[in-house]
Amino acid sequence: MIKNNIPLISLEGVIKRYPIGINDFYQALNGIDLNINEGEFVAIMGPSGSGKSSLMHIIGALDRVTEGKQFFKGKNIASFSEDHLAEIRNKEIGFVFQFFNLLPRMTVFKNVERPMLYGKIPASERKKRVMNALNIVGIAEKAENLSNHISGGQIQRVAIARALIMEPSVILADEPTGNLDTKTAHEIMNILTNLNKEGHTIVIITHEDDIASFAKRRIRLVDGKIVSDTNNKR
Amino acid sequence: MELKETLRSAIQALRINALRSSLTMLGIIIGITAVILISSVGQGTVAFISNELTSFGTNFFSINPGSNFMSAITGGDEPLTTADIEAIEDANIPNIENIAAFSYTSKVVSADEESKRTSVYGMTPQAQEMLKPDLIYGEFLSEDDSNNRVVVLGSDVVEDLFGKDTNPVGESIKIDDIRFVVIGVSKSGGSLFGSFFNTAVNIPLGTLQNQITGNDEIQEIDIGVRNIDLINETMDEVEMALRDHRHISDMEENDFVLQSFEGALDTFETITTLLTVFITGISAISLLVGGVGVMNIMLVSVTERTKEIGLLKAIGAKRKDILTQFLIESAVMTTIGGFAGILLGLGGTFLISVAFGIPFIISVPWILLAVGISTLVGVVFGIYPARKAADLLPIDALRYE
Repeated sequence: MIKNNIPLISLEGVIKRYPIGINDFYQALNGIDLNINEGEFVAIMGPSGSGKSSLMHIIGALDRVTEGKQFFKGKNIASFSEDHLAEIRNKEIGFVFQFFNLLPRMTVFKNVERPMLYGKIPASERKKRVMNALNIVGIAEKAENLSNHISGGQIQRVAIARALIMEPSVILADEPTGNLDTKTAHEIMNILTNLNKEGHTIVIITHEDDIASFAKRRIRLVDGKIVSDTNNKR
Repeated sequence: MELKETLRSAIQALRINALRSSLTMLGIIIGITAVILISSVGQGTVAFISNELTSFGTNFFSINPGSNFMSAITGGDEPLTTADIEAIEDANIPNIENIAAFSYTSKVVSADEESKRTSVYGMTPQAQEMLKPDLIYGEFLSEDDSNNRVVVLGSDVVEDLFGKDTNPVGESIKIDDIRFVVIGVSKSGGSLFGSFFNTAVNIPLGTLQNQITGNDEIQEIDIGVRNIDLINETMDEVEMALRDHRHISDMEENDFVLQSFEGALDTFETITTLLTVFITGISAISLLVGGVGVMNIMLVSVTERTKEIGLLKAIGAKRKDILTQFLIESAVMTTIGGFAGILLGLGGTFLISVAFGIPFIISVPWILLAVGISTLVGVVFGIYPARKAADLLPIDALRYE
């Protein structure tokens, strides 16, 4: 993977406020400065209410900053239109959520294929890519199963396969192991670790030290501020 | 997103809520069924009547007593008489081929043991020619019979009085205790308007007037024309002659009605068209209510699937993708409803056509219109919910509980 000096994701003085009622607001992020480079494996940690989900949404171009600058590959995306942001999410970012990851009552295949429909990938290539991604996460035999007929661990594997399908610059996982047992959680984290070894940039959100220990870098948030940013010694 | 994939995912979404989708379609189904049923049955009936009229011959017009269409049916105040026929003959209108007249009454007809009440028609031989019944036995009434006690029996009457498959020619029957000799048996040529030949007895007009009713009233005069293109001019001329004869001043309305079969057909078509427009109006209300139902269900669907919309936006769906998906979903729903309505309408039309013996006509323009309208209803009433879905911000949709 070609590396250059421009960080993949860069936030400068990011403040995020959510309105509460008419004249009140809640400040979720309170001046965040953060750079994430290509090839990193980052865990964003913090107790609930620390602002980690808000940060994740801003990194993933799902939300806009209230104040500050929001760069993706050197471009300030704060002023991009919704459709332009959708295109960035489609081509550059792969999401794995904790809940509601898959479209209900659709097959695994259709779920993994979906981003390629928005990305205008020709049908001939779609099938090849889906099967390849399902092989990487070790779930190719479930391709024709309905998404509501597979286990929680399998759902997360499918979500990872879908996150990979557009060959994005970064995979963002929001509490990807939040409702899995320890063994399955470790299996999922091993998949992400392997993807990172192959060069994929990975950012996960977690409140579990055990899960964060898979990452190379840990960022700890408290009350919307970064209180520590350390490298793991593994 | 490709149209094929969008369609597939729309059908999938509708199947997930199959019951709800079909209930939502009901308004559309009823509306389209009504339109197809009425338009097809209407067209079939017009074709049927038109066929009947032409098998009858269209090159003549009729004159009935009375001042309008209704009193022509119920009977006017001032009857037509043999003198009116003479007045028309005296006018020497060149386009008139022949003049037929008939009158009828209801009498008890008997032969030996059997008797029955039936219609007795008095007619001139020309009337018989115009109505074209089939002769089974013997002969028709002729010019020479004008005041004789001879009768041509309808086939059903023969069956009632003499039994099945008997030839009664030469036998005698009684009409009101007056003895008549049977000279023929006739049957209608299969047409609706000629069917009275089967259940009636036919005697010369003169005989009816002089020996049974005792007056010279005529219920209908039919005038055959040589050149059908001049029928309107001929009708005008006959009207003039009759007004003159019946001393109707310029200020007064006619006390008789002239009606050509073309005119009758036009009247009938007008009634059918009005009925179709009326039912279409009612169907439009049904489609409107159906459309509002579709909008309501699509709004529910958007709310229920808010998280799904958030997910789709997260993986790259643009505003247009979401808008198209929901719009196609509602259009597919109403179009399926439209097709169901067309099938039901055609099924109903088929049953009606079999039951009433009218032609089964499939009107392609109406079907295309029905498909177009049902799809349009889906698009029009789907726009608001689809826009609501498309305008959701990804973060709001993902966080929706």
